[in-house]
Amino acid sequence: MSQEIAVIGSPEFTTGFRLAGVRKFENITPEEKSDELDDAVRSVARDQEVGIVVMHAEDLDYLSREPRSIVDTSVEPTFVTVGGDAGSSGLREQIKRAIGIDLMEED
Amino acid sequence: MAKDVKPTRKNLMAIEDRIELSERGHDTLEQKRDGLIMEFMDILDEAQDVRSNLESDYDTAQKKINMARAMEGDVAVRGAAAALKEHPEITTESNNIMGVVVPQIESSKVKKSLGERGYGVLGTSARIDEAAEAYEELLESIILAAEVETAMKKMLTEIETTKRRVNALEFKLLPELKENQEFIEQKLEEQEREEIFRMKKIKDKKEAEEDELEAEAEREREAVSAD
Repeated sequence: MSQEIAVIGSPEFTTGFRLAGVRKFENITPEEKSDELDDAVRSVARDQEVGIVVMHAEDLDYLSREPRSIVDTSVEPTFVTVGGDAGSSGLREQIKRAIGIDLMEED
Repeated sequence: MAKDVKPTRKNLMAIEDRIELSERGHDTLEQKRDGLIMEFMDILDEAQDVRSNLESDYDTAQKKINMARAMEGDVAVRGAAAALKEHPEITTESNNIMGVVVPQIESSKVKKSLGERGYGVLGTSARIDEAAEAYEELLESIILAAEVETAMKKMLTEIETTKRRVNALEFKLLPELKENQEFIEQKLEEQEREEIFRMKKIKDKKEAEEDELEAEAEREREAVSAD
């Protein structure tokens, strides 16, 4: 089954991806982020047609605990964050827990 | 708990069998965990390269779209974005790494020619085309990152599970089984010592009785000979 890419974020963030053809998107203005970002993540995560979800790393700070754990651990769909240093912070924590060492430590 | 097992020879044999099986399982799981960690290390190197490419592609795309916005205006960029007809699609196939099923993502219609994009060539400028192209490249990096990071997440989950199983065997099940084995062995030895002591007592008693009978027979013989 073919799936699509979805993007969640501010209109400035999503426009570029829409220019590349992404049609599933959730526009959330910076003022609405703390209220609506959680629901947007939940609804995109439930969508069977979405295989990859793109978010800005800074937006993760607006998420409450449960949607944040969806972003960090979900495999279908996979959440990919771009921008900011927090690129793979969830993954980094998981590596520390599973292997016991911080393998992503910057030199 | 050691007190819960019946100290019988049959139980001891069953526990010895379980210890052997658990030790074999523990060794196998340890090897699986080490193998998974080695495979994970290879993926981690790849993931770090993919991640750095992704971030540089994102920066480039940001610069291009900001330029397009500045030159053409936000409305024109949004208008072009809304006109897109072809949509990128992904299909997932699976790959097996040491029993862990990891995805292999194939994409189509990510990179498009100018004609395929759907917005009019006359109404837009080269800045918008450049931004669209940069975002198409970014999407390709994102798809690659998604593939590698999903594989990492799945492998980490498997490593965690295997590690937990190894620890449960090493620090919970095996010590308990060994404690039970020791308890039964001690009890059986105690029973054996009691049995030997009892037999000795019976033997001593029997010998004393025989000595008494012999002494009595001797006395009787002496009495007869005296008469």
